[in-house]
Amino acid sequence: MHSFGYRANALLTFAVTILALMCAMASLSDNLNSPSPSAQIQILNFNWFQKQPHGNDEVSLTMNITADLQSLFTWNTKQVFVFVAAEYETTKNALNQVSLWDAIIPAREHAKFWIQTANKYRFVDQGSNLRGKEFNLTLHWHVMPKTGKMFADKLIMSGYRLPEEYR
Amino acid sequence: MCLLPSSVSVSPCLRKIYARNMLMDWQGQKLAEQLMQILLLAFAVVAFAAGYVMGSFQLMILTYAGGVVLTTLITVPNWPWFNHHPLQWLDTSEAEKHPKPQQHVTSKKKSAKK
Repeated sequence: MHSFGYRANALLTFAVTILALMCAMASLSDNLNSPSPSAQIQILNFNWFQKQPHGNDEVSLTMNITADLQSLFTWNTKQVFVFVAAEYETTKNALNQVSLWDAIIPAREHAKFWIQTANKYRFVDQGSNLRGKEFNLTLHWHVMPKTGKMFADKLIMSGYRLPEEYR
Repeated sequence: MCLLPSSVSVSPCLRKIYARNMLMDWQGQKLAEQLMQILLLAFAVVAFAAGYVMGSFQLMILTYAGGVVLTTLITVPNWPWFNHHPLQWLDTSEAEKHPKPQQHVTSKKKSAKK
């Protein structure tokens, strides 16, 4: 502590240690938040449904996504990544997941939204199991904090069915 | 640079050099360190509380950054208020009246204690 340099060094070290502690506490404070997000997805239309030349089923659909994810945001939230996945069961695999749409929500003000969209990514099966198939649309989200632990959760919406015939 | 015990005799000229280089006395150094730790902790508590209550991470960081800068300005430079207890060096004549104990005598005493 006898010289300028010693004191500057001691201060900087202590200051950064405390900063790390504050960030850890900010991350822990996220656990106090119990979010209650809500979402509905409505399928407006199956635009087309066909078998690709090499045998895989492919669907194009238009959906209406309504969601309120405001409760996911805390003071320590940087952004929220959301995606909608079609999930279904086949004889070969117990769980098939196909991502249809995604988005990055940068702030709480944008977390209550409504969007009508065709599938952003192709809905292709590994095989031709999609005719008349029952499937779930699941809204997954990853909460990305400014510091600390990342949270992920999902909301499953069931009761969707693909057409019986190609069109 | 200023770690000589007070019983060591130094010429008045040397003493002046020590006094000039001693920009912060012992008690000043202790005060500066304690002040630094207390101020930083206080600013951290205030910054975290303000950020959490206002729901703004940025506010926490800015408050704390301001606190660190302020603490630096208060405790890092050689302020005169950290130098109010200068070391009292003995006069050369005073030191000669109390000669240093012989080295081998002290080492014998130490070993006897053990």
